[in-house]
Amino acid sequence: MPELKVKGVTIIETFAEAFPMVATRVVITAPTLEWALISARTMTGFATSVIACGAEAGIERTLSRKETPDGRPGVAVLLFTMDAGKIQTQLRNRVGQCVLTSPGSACYAGLEGEKKLKLGASLRFFGDGWQVSKVIGGRRYWRIPVMGGEFVCEDTTGLTKKAVGGGNLLVLGKSHAAVLAACSRAVKAMSEMPDVITPFPGGIVRSGSKVGSQYKGQIASTNDAYCPSLKGAVKSDLPLDIEAVLEIVIDGLSADAISDAMYAGIHAIARGGAREGVTHITAGNYGGNLGPHHFHLKEIVG
Amino acid sequence: MSALTFELKHTPDQRLDLSPLVPARLNGLSRKEIEALTINTTRTKLTVGDAFKIKGKDAERLHFVGTDDRCDKIGAALAGGEIAIDGDAGMLLGTKMKRGKIAVTGSASVLAGASMSGGEISVRRNVGDQAGGVAVGETMGMKGGFISIGALLGERLRRGIIVVGGKAGDYAGARMIAGTLVLKHGAGRCAGYGNRRGSLIFLEKPRNILPTYSDCGVMEFDYLRLLDKWLREQGLRIRFGARARRLMGDMAVLGKGEMLILA
Repeated sequence: MPELKVKGVTIIETFAEAFPMVATRVVITAPTLEWALISARTMTGFATSVIACGAEAGIERTLSRKETPDGRPGVAVLLFTMDAGKIQTQLRNRVGQCVLTSPGSACYAGLEGEKKLKLGASLRFFGDGWQVSKVIGGRRYWRIPVMGGEFVCEDTTGLTKKAVGGGNLLVLGKSHAAVLAACSRAVKAMSEMPDVITPFPGGIVRSGSKVGSQYKGQIASTNDAYCPSLKGAVKSDLPLDIEAVLEIVIDGLSADAISDAMYAGIHAIARGGAREGVTHITAGNYGGNLGPHHFHLKEIVG
Repeated sequence: MSALTFELKHTPDQRLDLSPLVPARLNGLSRKEIEALTINTTRTKLTVGDAFKIKGKDAERLHFVGTDDRCDKIGAALAGGEIAIDGDAGMLLGTKMKRGKIAVTGSASVLAGASMSGGEISVRRNVGDQAGGVAVGETMGMKGGFISIGALLGERLRRGIIVVGGKAGDYAGARMIAGTLVLKHGAGRCAGYGNRRGSLIFLEKPRNILPTYSDCGVMEFDYLRLLDKWLREQGLRIRFGARARRLMGDMAVLGKGEMLILA
């Protein structure tokens, strides 16, 4: 069978295995885009993986004054968890501690969704009785008096159960610099796509894991088959000339959104061609039995 | 399909109850059946066909032409669709309506939008007293929706937004429970009398303010930005900015209401 190549970069015939998640979107506005971003980054901090962060979150995109309910600059944030109970707590805590506290911020619903999640409906109690509710155009907003003025927060936001978490690409290359540059390009390309986030630092994971370990209580451990320093010692999946492997993990509001982001990512990675030092693009899976969503690289590129 | 049009033939010799002429009632009726509907309010029987010339077919879009202030209850309990009125409307225009749109090119009489819970009423000229007020047999005024007026107004308003383009009369927003009253050119005496949790927004500094309102000073309100943008999206030519003086009141009652006077 002929190898599939994009600009000399080999696309391994495999698939990314992903899982159903629940997700929501909120819109954060502030007096300046810079402060909206500070608030959004704080809210989505420590949210790389549900394994230990409770949620996966990231900035979807920035919003112009025309796109926000109050006409100020804003940021759209996506938040993902494995079930509907957890997302409510995560949303309340993160908006309560990171957005309510951020100077000049306001927080609005960003998703209609099948179900509603409480937003201002729970944060209003911070107002200690001085909060007021206002209905504008059929949507309820809470005005909560705070030291900086008033925190305006929409009553609820939407929840979708159709979200997908764990779409991914693994990038192999002949130098760390080449792989990092290619992955950075891919993250930038994906950041322009709607309905997706890449929750890891700068969108990139350098420590992909396998399930289990030789130690009791360590549920995930280093993916030794992809560690370049162990090529000679373990059953490695890496050719001898690979010096680094980096991964991009994608969470999306739908399977289609992830598929589109993976397409954009693969092409951004391959843009430099094999000459730049990137040799392979592959994807992570668990054999296909754990997650119901399979993103086949061949179909995505084709 | 062209809008179902009712053109008033001549000045009626009694007040008309036009509450049957709403899309929900007219859908599926033939022209003959529509013409046979009774709209009299006295013992003298009067049908739609006696008073109006009917044209058009689309019962989701109604058009009244040449109506006067004796044409009562247009769009009463409206649950969807659009009603355009070329002329004046009588009392109880859009009373208890839930959804849909009513637009009047002339004036509306008393109790426009009384106890309405949703939808939109716009009146190009004036409205009579108690717009957004309490309909007969109800305990609360407007509960939702949007009224824009190009005068007592919003009594016991529960929720919803009323925008007054001219100067409102005395006791605007009296006994408001909640909701919002936007006053472009001020109001008469005792605005916000007995207001519990409602907002009165003054685009111009009002002449007299009840002594039972306490000054909280000037600051910026993101809420005003939100309202401002939404009103402009509804086609209103309005621009607030965000800075306003806030007075809380009416302290003679609950005191959680406010006047926001744009600074």
